[in-house]
Amino acid sequence: MGLYDKVKTWIGESPQWLGGDDRLLLIIFGALVGCCSGLAAVALNFSLHAMEGFFSSYRFHWYFFVLPGMGAALSSLFLEKIIQEGAGHGVPEVVYSVSRHGGLLRMRSMFSRLVSSSLTIGSGGSAGPEAPVVMSGSAIGSNIARFFSLNERQRIALVGCGSAGAVAGVFNAPIAGLVFTIEVIVGEWTALNIVPIAVASVAGAQISRLLQGNQIPFTHLHFDVDISTTLAAAGLAIITAAGCILLTRAIRKSHHVSGKVPVPLWVRAAIGGCIVGLVGLFLPQVLGEGYSVIQKMVEGSFTGGFALVLMLMLAKIAATSVTLGWGGSGGIFAPCLVVGSFSGLMYYRGIDALWPGLLQVNEGCFALLGMAGMIGGMLQAPLTAIFLIVEITGGYETILPLILVSVISTTVCHYFEPASFYFRDLIEKGYYLRPRTDAKVLADLRISELVEKDCISVPKNMSLGEFVKVVQQSRRNYFPVIDEITGAFAGMIHLDDIRPYLFDTLLHDTVFLEQIMTTDVETVDIDDDLSEVLSRMDVSGSFSMPVVTNQRFVGMVSKATLLDKYRKELMLQTTD
Amino acid sequence: MFEFAKCMNTDPGIVERWIRQGRIPVKRKGDVCVFNRDILEKWASAHNMRFVMSGSDPAAMAEKKSAGLLGAMKKGGVHYDVPGSSVSEVLRAAVDRIDGIQARDTRDLLYEKLLDREKMISTGIGGGVAVPHPRTPIQDENMDTLIAACFLKNPVDFHAVDKKPVELLFVLVAPSAKHHLHLLSRISFCLRDDSFLTFLKTRPEREVFFNRVAGFEKRLDQDEQQ
Repeated sequence: MGLYDKVKTWIGESPQWLGGDDRLLLIIFGALVGCCSGLAAVALNFSLHAMEGFFSSYRFHWYFFVLPGMGAALSSLFLEKIIQEGAGHGVPEVVYSVSRHGGLLRMRSMFSRLVSSSLTIGSGGSAGPEAPVVMSGSAIGSNIARFFSLNERQRIALVGCGSAGAVAGVFNAPIAGLVFTIEVIVGEWTALNIVPIAVASVAGAQISRLLQGNQIPFTHLHFDVDISTTLAAAGLAIITAAGCILLTRAIRKSHHVSGKVPVPLWVRAAIGGCIVGLVGLFLPQVLGEGYSVIQKMVEGSFTGGFALVLMLMLAKIAATSVTLGWGGSGGIFAPCLVVGSFSGLMYYRGIDALWPGLLQVNEGCFALLGMAGMIGGMLQAPLTAIFLIVEITGGYETILPLILVSVISTTVCHYFEPASFYFRDLIEKGYYLRPRTDAKVLADLRISELVEKDCISVPKNMSLGEFVKVVQQSRRNYFPVIDEITGAFAGMIHLDDIRPYLFDTLLHDTVFLEQIMTTDVETVDIDDDLSEVLSRMDVSGSFSMPVVTNQRFVGMVSKATLLDKYRKELMLQTTD
Repeated sequence: MFEFAKCMNTDPGIVERWIRQGRIPVKRKGDVCVFNRDILEKWASAHNMRFVMSGSDPAAMAEKKSAGLLGAMKKGGVHYDVPGSSVSEVLRAAVDRIDGIQARDTRDLLYEKLLDREKMISTGIGGGVAVPHPRTPIQDENMDTLIAACFLKNPVDFHAVDKKPVELLFVLVAPSAKHHLHLLSRISFCLRDDSFLTFLKTRPEREVFFNRVAGFEKRLDQDEQQ
């Protein structure tokens, strides 16, 4: 018996000696997944640094602008030809797989986004490395779960573990990893999820600390936060919300525009990369993930006036939307942080110009608040924003304005963009199914599980007299009528429709079912979506509908059975 | 898998999905479900669901027990020369002789119930046979479905429908009205046969009597299956 078999047997038996509970199992696997995704995060960080170091000497040549183009083209080729995956940052894919396929992700996703995003970002494309790491970590979790034949609930927990470990590892921010995963990826606050995900967060952050040292990404000076800062933060939230809406729409717009360019995907990515490279010739701050710029701003050592900062902010938004919209690979986390810190700085400079001396605090504080506002608004995840910024800056003293800016920014963004950047496409396609919601329960139930097959089918040319005998034996009010030669579904008879003729014996031998059946019946296919079927029932006001597949009558689907099954399912999904 | 779905009283497709999604504490190995019964029963009750292992369903068990007229008769036993000269006396004597009742209290209760029933209207169904039975089922867990055949020492006037004195009692006890009706209809089927009545007059030996009943039972089962 190999080790694999031993572990599998152990998993198979563990519920018995744990009293049917798999918590310990999930904690152990969570730690394992967290370590793996932490490693993935460190690997991506390392490769980005290496590429940045390698290219830094070329950065000052005029022909440098083709480099982001080459990187984006290579990453697009890699994804399209070798991995056969679409571009994009990966978070929607993970959420989609969690809500529709029980967290099933492909094994190649474990590294595909790492390679493609390091090509894009390392060469200068304006994107973030976090979402690709989240995708890798989630895929690692999913595949470990599949390797040990865990069930879907456990697999989703491990996907969450992967994402938490990745975020915790890449930012050295365990709480942000946990909160991001619960808020964005899993969408369900239950002890069953939180415990393994928290463990994975710790594991991911620990691995990153072991390999990279315990460093806080953006160290800063001490800030003296007073009431004026807190009040000013409310105003900043409006600016960051505007930035979010601008960035969201710009990415989508640029995606639409690029979609109309009739060239292969990799050429498209190359064009986009070159545009970004051109912008970068004049404003090199917009290239890459941009963490060094943030560091400068948070330290308060960023020189440049209001106009330059505003220009940089707009240029960063443009560069990000072109990179991502034209087929580059990467996330929006880091660009959000950069845009956020620019907007914070801009706001500070603006206020300082209007009322000199009003704000006592260092301008780095506002760069930091801007980041929180931007993340909160873009992801529509205020908690993630708060915890992430506190952790990556080590600045708990800013917590009051931080909370304020992130919640206000989230609210304002939600008003203009009801769906967050990650979920918009999913919601449009109807793939956004959160646990414990009506949509999720309906999506889990299948028509084939609800169909009632105890209806008695009657042939078209049966006489009414014979039919009365059938009615006597039946317990149901609906009778499907079928063509006796082809077996195809012809129509329905409802008892209510024929009650007047039923007791008229004169008609018994003269009327055939073909004459009294309803032919314009709305039917559903056995593979139809239940939510769609329900809305059709609501429109037509009917309580049941015949299920017809390939012209064959299968059975009836009724609201009564649905309620029964729906309730059972709801109870199953909402109680632990 | 299918059996398991039956135990859960749902569609196999649904159960399969539940296992795949990990909503139910059951493991699946190929077509076989592996589970811990205690855990699953706890889980089922926590989720307002019914989980009944085939064979342990109380209703189904009772059904099985009662299904046989012969089985019930074997439990109640055949008793000869039951003494008494009035309805109450023979009933008392019969109740005391019935096999399969442990508690003294139950016997007393049964006797009272039988008397009550007789006071309403006689259970003498003619041909010298009476079928005394309680009006409502006796609530006792240890109570099985049983029929005791009691041949009386002396014929007793039971106020039967045909005014003939009764020579044979079938004391009928069932845990539910459904089983009661089921057995009653089977007994009446047997008694409709004149040759059976004459056969009963001969006060047959226990084995011979059971063989005869088994023959009827077989015919009834065949009819039902058709």
